[in-house]
Amino acid sequence: MAEPSAAGRSFDEEALPHLDALYRVALRLTGDASQAEDLVQDTMLKAYRSWRQYRPGSNAKGWLLTILRNTFINDYRRRKHEPVAMDLEAVEPHALHRSIEEVDPEGSFFAQIVDAKVLEAIDALPDEFREVLVLSDVEGMRYAEIAETLQIPVGTVKSRLFRARRQLQAQLYAHAVEMGYIQPRESPR
Amino acid sequence: MSGVDCAQALTNLGDYLKQELTPELMAEVRRHLERCRDCFKHAQFEESFLTMLETRAGRETCPAKLRARILALLRAEVEDH
Repeated sequence: MAEPSAAGRSFDEEALPHLDALYRVALRLTGDASQAEDLVQDTMLKAYRSWRQYRPGSNAKGWLLTILRNTFINDYRRRKHEPVAMDLEAVEPHALHRSIEEVDPEGSFFAQIVDAKVLEAIDALPDEFREVLVLSDVEGMRYAEIAETLQIPVGTVKSRLFRARRQLQAQLYAHAVEMGYIQPRESPR
Repeated sequence: MSGVDCAQALTNLGDYLKQELTPELMAEVRRHLERCRDCFKHAQFEESFLTMLETRAGRETCPAKLRARILALLRAEVEDH
């Protein structure tokens, strides 16, 4: 077998460690495991072929996620179901916390929700909210990296994140009440 | 009270926990949380939420079959050159 080239070696070292993250983001973007697999595969091939454009030692994860997202937008169909949009403008920003302040001020109910439900709630977010939330709060990218990846201002990243987190909290809270993980003190009638 | 008030502290809470505020604002929010019990509780709540997201939604891994397929495709690319 031929000795791998220097480019091949650095690709292996810099790009391959991000396969798990790429797969998770692909799952959240496509909402479908087999599409996610195709998307990751396409992304890795494209990345390999344009590896010369990557500056060694810079942000490989961000670079790969940019390719993944562009590939998704250009070549993949959007998820079938339209996410449930909540009327957030009508909701007072910190109403949720205030309503459970007395019963669970530290939000320990979050720990009781099973992984599958957490993912389901993320998947129900509108596309532009889900994207920033996954990159920031699941994959740990900095706001500046996300802004660069999505080609939007940092301020937009911040405001989308703010609303995405609130919407997700509201959804998980509703689920926790339904499951009896948490008992709101005064139930609305 | 100098610095940020409750409304400002709450609006910046997520960014504060992510350490995404300017150093000045980081310090002001920190000072506010030290003094304000209500906002401190909010911060704990927000932190539980962010910790949950990080750990519970970040556990899925790339399937071994997909990883193997990608590696094989990359090796084939190398040999084409």
